[in-house]
Amino acid sequence: MAIDPEGSTDRDAQPEPAAKGPPNWGIAFDLGLRLGISVILGLGGGLLLDSWLHTSPIFTLIGMVLGIGAAMYTIWDVAHDAMRR
Amino acid sequence: MARSTLESARGGIGWPLVLAAAAVGAVAVYILTPKEEGESLIHVAISAEPLFDIFGFVVTNSMVGASLASLILLAGAWYVTRRSTLVPGRLQSMLELPVEYLASIASGSTSRWRSYVGLVIGLFLMILVANWLGLLPGVGTIGIVHHEGGHETLTPFVRPASADLNFTLGLAIITFVTFVAWAIRLHGPIGYLKELVGEPRIMAPLMFPIHLISELSRLVSLSMRLFGNIFAGEVLLATMLALTTAAVFVLPLAFFVPAVFLGLELIFGAVQALVFALLTMTYITMAIAEHDGGHTEEAEEHDERAPGRPDHSTSASAPA
Repeated sequence: MAIDPEGSTDRDAQPEPAAKGPPNWGIAFDLGLRLGISVILGLGGGLLLDSWLHTSPIFTLIGMVLGIGAAMYTIWDVAHDAMRR
Repeated sequence: MARSTLESARGGIGWPLVLAAAAVGAVAVYILTPKEEGESLIHVAISAEPLFDIFGFVVTNSMVGASLASLILLAGAWYVTRRSTLVPGRLQSMLELPVEYLASIASGSTSRWRSYVGLVIGLFLMILVANWLGLLPGVGTIGIVHHEGGHETLTPFVRPASADLNFTLGLAIITFVTFVAWAIRLHGPIGYLKELVGEPRIMAPLMFPIHLISELSRLVSLSMRLFGNIFAGEVLLATMLALTTAAVFVLPLAFFVPAVFLGLELIFGAVQALVFALLTMTYITMAIAEHDGGHTEEAEEHDERAPGRPDHSTSASAPA
């Protein structure tokens, strides 16, 4: 059975409206919150490790740097996906 | 200048408005000022409150809300499938509308959309009904009154499920597990770990925690956004109701003020349900697209068993 790139078959011969992809504004709701949460997760993880290992403030600083790095990576990841689509 | 303003106000609706504003302000100060330490007429608990327990299993009011939402959805599904016709009536069209809309969006995402469209639509409908349930009269206002230390506190029988972090976190975990499972299914467990480690391998000690935090932030943001929006809406409605109920003796028009906020919450509830469903679909789409670029020959062959887009005339059966 022949399949066109969109996955429809010969049986669906009648013209169809163009399929819409997921609207991008969902990502806009997500991105801002994820930036903040990434920093909080990194910082929180560092604080927990420091209180557990009594090494304050080494892991707090490392966690903060990793959290900020994760936030920047999130922007790149979302932009990369948007460009690919 | 002051006199002319006074005269113009006297001629129009200025005086009643000034009086009403003063009355609302006085009532607001009275309501919001704690009578004793920690006491206020507005009481919205941040966590769900336990109602009873069955053999040690505590049932909270948000669990009652979630069960009611499930029952409403089951009843709707039963009605639609029992009386569905090829040419839908008004009610059938209304019930099919969200299913058709989300199915048409999902069909444009990847060629494997049939595998996850059911989850996306299910999440949307569940969150939508759970959010709108909180706007019904009696929800959050009818319950058991406790007398503790001279204070009266109300434990509502029903609380909107989305205003409980446990519910939203549970839904977010389902989404998280699904898109990680898709990534593992397409890459394999080792391939997924390699994705997390990144390239070049020498950067692994830096990139692995960064990737891990970025993945976990999706889980936290999904759950916190829904909880934050719906809980904030509950607090807003409770505040506006408390203010205007007291002010209604001065200005009967105040009764209509909460209606504006109820309308806004109606929109916010639908938007938040749609955002959650769309983000779920976006995350799964990203997991699939990273593997095969969205529409590859391999993916199309994989879906040959169930090809095609939803038939919009009989879309009740679309989400396979």
